[in-house]
Amino acid sequence: MGTVAPRIRFVLFAAASVVIASVPFLTDDRYLLKILTFVGLNAIVVAGLALLLGFAGQISMGHAAFFGLGAYTSAYLTTAHEVPWLLAVAAGTLLAATGGLLLALPSLRLKGHYLAMATLGFNEIMSVLFVEMRGITGGNDGLSGIPFPSIGSFVIDSPAAIYILVWAVAALAFVGAANLVRTRPGRAMRALHGSELGALASGVNTVGLKVQVFAVSAALAGLAGALYAHSVGFISPSQFSLEFSILLVAMVVVGGTGSLTGPFIAAVALTLLQYVHALIPGLSKDAAALIQDWEVDISGLIMILTVIFVPGGLAAFLKRRRSGAGEEGEIA
Amino acid sequence: MSLLAIRDLTRRFGGLVAVDGVSFDVHEGTIKAVIGPNGAGKSTLFNLMTGFDRPDAGAVSFDGRDIVGMRPHKVVAAGISRTFQNTQLFEELTALENVLVGMHTRLRTGLVGGALRMPWTVAEERRALERASYLLRLVGAEQYAQTHAADIPHGMRRLLEIARALAAEPRLLLLDEPAAGLNNFETQSLSKTLYKIRDEGVTLVVVEHDMGLVMEVSEEIVVIDQGRKIAEGPPLLIQKDAAVIEAYLGEEGAYV
Repeated sequence: MGTVAPRIRFVLFAAASVVIASVPFLTDDRYLLKILTFVGLNAIVVAGLALLLGFAGQISMGHAAFFGLGAYTSAYLTTAHEVPWLLAVAAGTLLAATGGLLLALPSLRLKGHYLAMATLGFNEIMSVLFVEMRGITGGNDGLSGIPFPSIGSFVIDSPAAIYILVWAVAALAFVGAANLVRTRPGRAMRALHGSELGALASGVNTVGLKVQVFAVSAALAGLAGALYAHSVGFISPSQFSLEFSILLVAMVVVGGTGSLTGPFIAAVALTLLQYVHALIPGLSKDAAALIQDWEVDISGLIMILTVIFVPGGLAAFLKRRRSGAGEEGEIA
Repeated sequence: MSLLAIRDLTRRFGGLVAVDGVSFDVHEGTIKAVIGPNGAGKSTLFNLMTGFDRPDAGAVSFDGRDIVGMRPHKVVAAGISRTFQNTQLFEELTALENVLVGMHTRLRTGLVGGALRMPWTVAEERRALERASYLLRLVGAEQYAQTHAADIPHGMRRLLEIARALAAEPRLLLLDEPAAGLNNFETQSLSKTLYKIRDEGVTLVVVEHDMGLVMEVSEEIVVIDQGRKIAEGPPLLIQKDAAVIEAYLGEEGAYV
């Protein structure tokens, strides 16, 4: 914890904030704003998943399901019961957190592959429920006509406004996560990852902490899901599949463990990759289709190459560069 | 009254009786050594005293309170800290952060307070940093404050683990082979550190193979062999005890 590094971190954060905040003033391309809103939504989920996987060392292959739980809860409450938006989003977040808690209690006694399998199973079960609970979820047809975010009579209905809302939440999520990892609970998470015996001997209730982090992480996924539902207006089960869970894990793995900056950059890059066909002007139709077909494979390949050649992910690059400048012990 | 009272403690692993009806007391403000050949049951004894393992029979009472069955983190909160024979540091964390984790039970900040960085969180962090720096100085590891544990030399790692254990403000500190792998110079400075810790009012129990250190620092010694207590007393008596020489030191008794 040097004196220079926090300043660098602050400057980086401020610079990123300015760039992100200026986008709506630079473009009014609805599609582009929508894509960048998705980037922000994924970033919110990744903030939570980085805490769980990158800092506490617990894997979840079920975060798409928490995302979906938040989305369906908020969508259902606003469409079927006309619950105010803010309350509905809070309910979606809370239900996802509760789901996380209930999943974590039995499964966090499992380790490594077994925890991965348990959370993967959870995602599959939820996927089936999203289809089968037709009364609430609309089955395979999904739910449509989900209202825009609104507080009282103030409606957030332009792509630019929704973009700002989502990125404001993302900024809060990252600031909160960055604060957390530098104080008592966050240090305990990192300790747990390093040596469970050591953490226990330091008085950390390891089981309780894992459950807490899992719930927080699920809550952020649920929050992002709820925001997603209201920004696109339509949701269906295929959006919350295992494939999305794996993409989220890939973002944290490529971004690197013990880091928030790395996973953030990876979330931006891997989300944009999905829309690269639409983002590059003048790209031929065939090339666009080719990229679209191979997008999942490219993400997978990036993850495999990361694990093999840079196990520390993007964060390892960031740290190496910083410690070269004489600043050790930094969280990138 | 003794700070720690162990009564008829027994732990079996299958057919093996690792700890067999051991009883002894640890008095407040003293340094007690537990010695015995490899596999005598010393580490098992430590695990039973810290909630990492449960005895099949017997009692461990700390300050009049039964601690058998308590989870390890509760034992720490109750006032017993420990180190491990194989150091269990957090390699990716700096030495300072390792000690800060050791203060877990003495700090209050929760998930919400930590994420929002409330004014009291900031104030608590500042106090914690001061105390952690003090503990690093106490064990002589202050120059490694900002170094990752993984990059700290072996001898220092043992001292760092002691600093981390002290961070929980224990009344009783259990050290599992603190001198293992240390050179003579490091062992000398370790014994000074142990005295400093005792002078701060912390009672110590040390499992150790280094007889020089044991004879120098401990006021009382318990000798364990094949899970049983075979002798207990001050160093001078233990050195002359026929059963100890027979069982523990064998033919090479001369090296005491």
